[in-house]
Amino acid sequence: MSSEHGHHPVEPSAVEHRVTAIESLLVEKGLITSDVVDAVIETFERDLGPLNGAKVVARAWVDDAYRARLLVDGTAAIGELGFGGAEGEHLTVLENTPTLHNLVVCTLCSCYPWPVLGLPPRWYKDAAYRARAVREPRAVLAEFGTTLPDGVEVAVWDSSAEIRYMVLPVRPDGTEGLSEDELVPLVTRDHMIGTAR
Amino acid sequence: MDGIHDMGGMHGFGPVEAEPDEPVFHEPWESRVLGLSLVAAANGLIRGSGRSRIEAMRPVDYLAASYYERWAHSLETRLIESGTLSRDEIDTRAASGETTPTRSAATSPDMVALVPRFLNSPQATSGTPAAGRFVPGDSVTVRRMAPASHHRCPRYLRGVTGTVTAVPGAWPAAGEQEPEAVYTVRFANADLWGDDAEPGTLYIDLWERYLE
Repeated sequence: MSSEHGHHPVEPSAVEHRVTAIESLLVEKGLITSDVVDAVIETFERDLGPLNGAKVVARAWVDDAYRARLLVDGTAAIGELGFGGAEGEHLTVLENTPTLHNLVVCTLCSCYPWPVLGLPPRWYKDAAYRARAVREPRAVLAEFGTTLPDGVEVAVWDSSAEIRYMVLPVRPDGTEGLSEDELVPLVTRDHMIGTAR
Repeated sequence: MDGIHDMGGMHGFGPVEAEPDEPVFHEPWESRVLGLSLVAAANGLIRGSGRSRIEAMRPVDYLAASYYERWAHSLETRLIESGTLSRDEIDTRAASGETTPTRSAATSPDMVALVPRFLNSPQATSGTPAAGRFVPGDSVTVRRMAPASHHRCPRYLRGVTGTVTAVPGAWPAAGEQEPEAVYTVRFANADLWGDDAEPGTLYIDLWERYLE
């Protein structure tokens, strides 16, 4: 399991043993306590996810002044709804319009706005999406069942620095009578990444 | 470094495979490696960029590993680098085959209380105001370079000219301490991929050192 270069391929069955060994050793040496690790995991599983982002989108759809603030300073406007944190210290919101569609990717790794979308899905971190979203976004969108009308420009955002992006989709036709709370369930993770229109 | 992780534009990876109703974690150990990585960093047990250790994996290992296997590699590598654990003791303990980690009798209520502040509460916008060479509207070309250390400048941009559209702020570049201006730069797809590219634009945030 060792080499001069510090690389040691880990079999899928072995990684669970190694991670377990690391946690047991750190606990037994008194360097960490289990409850803190639990709290991190519970926060991701319980409190962080696309529902947060959907609330931001629904607010922007019903409140023009909020939408204006959101597009100028995403971090502050998202903070108004109580959301923020690691991997979201500088949030920028990309507005779709009838003639513009935004799509977010991280070609180098997995940059993603944790406070509003939670942890990224596996496909977002996989090679196919990272390789192709920048070069053939319309082909990728088609695989998600998203076909853009002619005349809609695609803007791809490769998250590479400290800024994290989420997409503000266009409010669907026929939802004029819906309340903010009724709009929230219409907004999905894929709308806010841009793989859905 | 210009490694296998730098995937933008590559061919051959096939279709994007989305999983309906995907869980946050697929296996308990995936959640533990994420939690351990954040806690180990907070406790000062590991230092430096997790991504740099992932990028230093041999390309064949990187491609064969799942996302959280890469995290596990990075966590283990940094714990060994810092002298917190030795590879031998991890090897020995892992050979025991246990899959349930030891539970601590001790607790850390103060740290538990910090978790939601770190992960789940409104933050001040990061970054400092940028004072740099370029302003929106400037034409900039991505430098040709081949840095061997961690950086955030994908290969597919090298030598291509785009337009600065915003200056969101200044942050330390990889491996640096002092903030440096970061620019949002727009590129035409045809300039990146040639005449048969899909029409459209690409935006990316680039540190000043990557541009000329």
